[in-house]
Amino acid sequence: MAFHRRDLIHGVMTAGAASVVAASPAEKPATVSMPTKVVDTNVSLFQWPFRRIPLDEINALCSKLRQIGITEAWASSFEGLLHRDIRGVNTRLLNACQAKPELVPVGAINPTLPDWKHDINLCLGRSKMPGIRIFPGYHGYQLSDKVFSELLATATELGGFVQIAFTLEDTRTQSHSVTAPNTDPRPLKHWMQQIPEAKVQILNCRPSTSDKQIFASIPRVVLDTSRVDGTDGLVTLVNAIGVDRVLYGSHAPFLIPEAACIRILESGISAAAVNAVMTENADKFRKSEVPSQKN
Amino acid sequence: MNFGLPSAETLQQYRIWDSYFTPSFSHPGPDGSRGLIDDIQRSMPAVQLGQFEKLCYFAHVGIGTTTDPTLEQLLQAKPELVLKPLQHWPNKLLGMIQLNLNNIAASMTALDRWLQDGPMLGVYFPGSGPGAANCMTPNVSKLVDRVSELGGVIMQHTWLKTGGKRSPQESTPSELATLASRHPHQHFICAHAGGEWEQGIRAVRETPNVLIETSGFDATAGFIEMATRELGSKRIVFGSHLPSRSLGTEISKVTSASISEKDKKDILGRNYRKLLNVIQSYK
Repeated sequence: MAFHRRDLIHGVMTAGAASVVAASPAEKPATVSMPTKVVDTNVSLFQWPFRRIPLDEINALCSKLRQIGITEAWASSFEGLLHRDIRGVNTRLLNACQAKPELVPVGAINPTLPDWKHDINLCLGRSKMPGIRIFPGYHGYQLSDKVFSELLATATELGGFVQIAFTLEDTRTQSHSVTAPNTDPRPLKHWMQQIPEAKVQILNCRPSTSDKQIFASIPRVVLDTSRVDGTDGLVTLVNAIGVDRVLYGSHAPFLIPEAACIRILESGISAAAVNAVMTENADKFRKSEVPSQKN
Repeated sequence: MNFGLPSAETLQQYRIWDSYFTPSFSHPGPDGSRGLIDDIQRSMPAVQLGQFEKLCYFAHVGIGTTTDPTLEQLLQAKPELVLKPLQHWPNKLLGMIQLNLNNIAASMTALDRWLQDGPMLGVYFPGSGPGAANCMTPNVSKLVDRVSELGGVIMQHTWLKTGGKRSPQESTPSELATLASRHPHQHFICAHAGGEWEQGIRAVRETPNVLIETSGFDATAGFIEMATRELGSKRIVFGSHLPSRSLGTEISKVTSASISEKDKKDILGRNYRKLLNVIQSYK
């Protein structure tokens, strides 16, 4: 018996979005093609602190991304997790990205360090990065903390987006010596209301049913696809928060770059939805077009 | 390659046999099969996209492996319900039974009924739920001995979690290696390679009758390369964990790994077929 996820999508989507997401009857998932432009919003450069990873050298990573069909990758730095010389971290990131036109630098920021606003100014101001990435679980603060609201306000004032690493690794497999809790996203609802121009993306979340409800209730926040698992995980996420709030991301090289890409095909979403997730939403997010709130 | 997935022809050449298919894993539905069949159907687009030849699921057979006493009674009264998925997909599905490690007598009876006299090919030792017990529990060896007599495969759920076990019933790869060393002629599959595979691989490395299974954790890069280096490709079997995990997460671990095409064929199907040959030759 044939089963089509598009039926599931069609039954739940709002009318406007459904036309974007649902595949037409003649459009079988396996025949959907990669868009000519694909933006991976979640890549990291340099070495993972806890083991060597097959693609942790920049040339190898870029070669793999090109092989898959990724034309633009928003790259931050694994060094941002544990290093305290954040200016040095972001200088190396910037230099690496300048040598690879497909890489877009996203500076790492640790707001628990003294004078962190200087780092944001360097990233979003002088270096003209489009956004910053933060790691609350590793840096020991929560989104309810005042320092996060200051960071979000500062980044917004400078016109940049903020990527929040929900985690970098499943809490069950982290090093015993360095554990980092998942980030609680719920305080974001307040800050997104307080700062209406803020642009926030959550990275590396494997959303549970309750997580999806939480994200649906937070205005404008977008998610990446890197850990959205389950054979219909992408479809249920799209149904929960809207297709315009889901951006392609792989969390490469920590995760195998092909994994997130195959899941797009596996999801059975339409070519229009593939374009939205893999290209258009990232462009709109970066260029300040605020996504709609589905619920 | 499209979206990072090898071509259909390449996937067919791999002859993929999925050792860890988990539709409706904790409960097959109140009528004994509907939820299971729905979940299998839900998985079929991915199964077809991945060009899987066979998938093995783990049936509840009414010996107390669920928390639903009504279902347990139903499966005891109508054992034909257990066979419905196999009848629905006779050329696609393989079956093993979930054992109740806390009820050895019922499990021994089930082995006779479903492995010796029925179509099932092996057993699953659960890591959670009412049928779970740590694999070092003394009575477990009785079950292992009987499965060995029948030529069956043993799939043991394992995880090695940062911060320690969430329950004493869970088993780690190290514990499975200890059990396996006591039964050197029986093959064991270490499901999920312990999750935290860098330690899981090391834990079973010196126990040659333990193979690792590949599913159930994120598509962390480097896993298959380390496993192939430390264990050899002959000691790794592919699992999909569909539908709660995804084709992309699970198949990319193998198809994207920097290993030979021969090693990929070993992992994706050849090794598992070899394990199943023993009991199939007895039937």
